[in-house]
Amino acid sequence: MGSIIRLKSLTKKYKIGGEVITALNNVNLEIAQGEFICILGTSGSGKTTLLNITAGLERPTKGSVIINGVELSKVKEKDMAVFRRKYMGFIFQSYNLIPSLTALENATLPLIFSGVGIKERNKRAKELLVELGLGNRLFNKPTQMSGGQQQRVAIARALINNPEIIFADEPTGNLDSKTTNEIMELLIKLVKEKNRTLIMVTHDLELAQYADRVVHMVDGEVKKISVREETDYA
Amino acid sequence: MNKLDLLRLANKNLWRRKGRTILTMIGVFIGTSSIVIMLSLGIGIKENQRRDLERWGSLNIIRVYSGVRFDDQGNPLGEANQLDDNAVNEIKQMEGVVGVSPAYEFGGEASWGRKRGYIQLIGVDPSQLENLEVSISEGRLFTPTDRYCIVVGSQVINNFMDERAMRRGIYIPPTNTDPKEMLNQRIAVTVQNSWGEKGQKKVFNFQVVGIMDEKNMERSMEAYASIEDIKKMRDFMLKVSNNYPQQGIMAGGRNSNSQARKSSQKQEENYSFIIVRTKDVAYTKKVSQALRDAGYNAYSIADALEGIEQSSKIIQAIFGGIGGITLLVAAIGITNTMVMSIYERTREIGIMKVIGASFADIRTMFLAEAGLIGFMGGGAGLLFSYLASYFINKLAVNYINMGMPMEEGAVKISIISPWLALFAIGFSILIGLISGLYPANRAIKLSPIKAIRNE
Ligand SMILES: Nc1ncnc2c1ncn2[C@@H]1O[C@H](COP(=O)(O)OP(=O)(O)OP(=O)(O)O)[C@@H](O)[C@H]1O
Ligand SMILES: [Mg+2]
Repeated sequence: MGSIIRLKSLTKKYKIGGEVITALNNVNLEIAQGEFICILGTSGSGKTTLLNITAGLERPTKGSVIINGVELSKVKEKDMAVFRRKYMGFIFQSYNLIPSLTALENATLPLIFSGVGIKERNKRAKELLVELGLGNRLFNKPTQMSGGQQQRVAIARALINNPEIIFADEPTGNLDSKTTNEIMELLIKLVKEKNRTLIMVTHDLELAQYADRVVHMVDGEVKKISVREETDYA
Repeated sequence: MNKLDLLRLANKNLWRRKGRTILTMIGVFIGTSSIVIMLSLGIGIKENQRRDLERWGSLNIIRVYSGVRFDDQGNPLGEANQLDDNAVNEIKQMEGVVGVSPAYEFGGEASWGRKRGYIQLIGVDPSQLENLEVSISEGRLFTPTDRYCIVVGSQVINNFMDERAMRRGIYIPPTNTDPKEMLNQRIAVTVQNSWGEKGQKKVFNFQVVGIMDEKNMERSMEAYASIEDIKKMRDFMLKVSNNYPQQGIMAGGRNSNSQARKSSQKQEENYSFIIVRTKDVAYTKKVSQALRDAGYNAYSIADALEGIEQSSKIIQAIFGGIGGITLLVAAIGITNTMVMSIYERTREIGIMKVIGASFADIRTMFLAEAGLIGFMGGGAGLLFSYLASYFINKLAVNYINMGMPMEEGAVKISIISPWLALFAIGFSILIGLISGLYPANRAIKLSPIKAIRNE
């Protein structure tokens, strides 16, 4: 199976005042279609930076990101929207739902931008939200939902376009351990069902157990990549 | 992104900050109201002047005379074109001309029953009567087959006085006369010529078949007859014995001039004037200019409109300008609101970009919000303007129309034409969109990463 994502000697430097911070230093990584990759590391180790650059939200100082054979630095910012709609779904630690929209509307938002009709949109979103256990929360606004519920809406939003890759930055960072497990089970089930690629950032060792491979980050560098033994995942 | 989804989303976003949105709309509301009310006053002034003009004659009628032409400053330009059948045909071909009739004019002594007086007869082509806006309030129009039938203006009756009263030397100016009294009466018109020593007299009898309605003053003193009949009267009148000089020409006087004397036979064939009816006022101006350019002597009430329209344009520009300043302030208000809104929604915009909103999506979304503010504010402003206009006119009836005759109809000093209404809505939307341009571009430039990173 060919790699869906190729990261070649990624380096990212931030300049604050006169000081230069190296957030990423020469990161090389290949990710296969359908793989679940976990990026693990302490705070400030450059996990989010790596994720954002891989998703094309930030430009690397050096190196290149190739997704499905397309070099991201060659895609114009203007055309990134189409690219994101097709290839990428995002889940954030703080859910990032649009406060004025209901669960259903939030979940359908990517389809609105893709120009999908309202009937088709609502049908798909309902199915997904019901699958995520939110059948009775369709018309609630984010403020009327718990963190776990909000994150499930965010997962529906990330998956609704059927993107090739799902990026998740500490998706359970704000949730208790019971809810975390529920969410993780759901997410992994949905991703594996459709053979989607999942890249998840976490600093939680336990969560890393779910992943096919774990990328250990220390001070902007990949220190180690560990592969989960087949028996771990039942 | 689907247009309807976009409008719904924009509308939803708008009402998240009800207070601020409404305040911004009030700005547009005031701006639109002041522009519409100001312009409606301008239109009202123009319409009133136009109505005043129309009282003197139809704006769609041109009369073409013979004789010497003058330019705007009153300097003579030389002899105008001859008014013969060629001229009639030429005018018929002109664009915007609906009806053309040659006319002979004859004025003379007349009597009916015991009344005596004076009548001004105009002979026209009977088939063109309706085209020439001759309309009847009582009776009927005469047809091409009718002989010696006339329709009279509503004031014609006032030119007649009771014979006995006159003989007794009492002059009673006619009052409370009813034009209908003349209907179906026989009018005897006496014509005299210069044939022989004393000349000859002949009486022509006309039957009044219709009374013209009193739409304009120009025609109220006139009576219309078939051109054939009037030509017969003229021919009789112009019959001159060879040893006498021409005398007693009461009609076609404008035709006579020394230089054309030699061809007097031909001159007599010429019409007194030609009546031209155009499609509308715009054509009246065009056709009468074209006629003058072609060397005719053309007059129309619409000629006076030019100056009126010029001055009303200036009034409208001033009024519109005052309203425009208000709307400019409102536009700045929209921009301000949108910039604030974008600042508040930085994060949301970033998220939308991350989940696949294109630049165009973001731009249209914010332009739609700004446009909606313009549309709603402008719509409310327009509604209010209708209300204000109604009350202004109501007040005007009490103050300005006092002492005016009832049938004149209420003078409206504020008129909101459909075009003005359409313009108001369109313009307020446009103002919204323009005001939204800068904020929308700012939203586009927002980096999604900045929005997401500020967790
Ligand atoms: N926009 C920025 N400007 C300057 N420095 C930045 C910026 N973003 C990140 N950094 C720095 O880059 C380094 C890596 O940050 P990053 O957010 O990738 O860490 P992280 O591993 O995601 O940490 P956490 O677990 O706390 O989220 C940090 O030292 C951070 O201060
Ligand atoms: Mg992070």
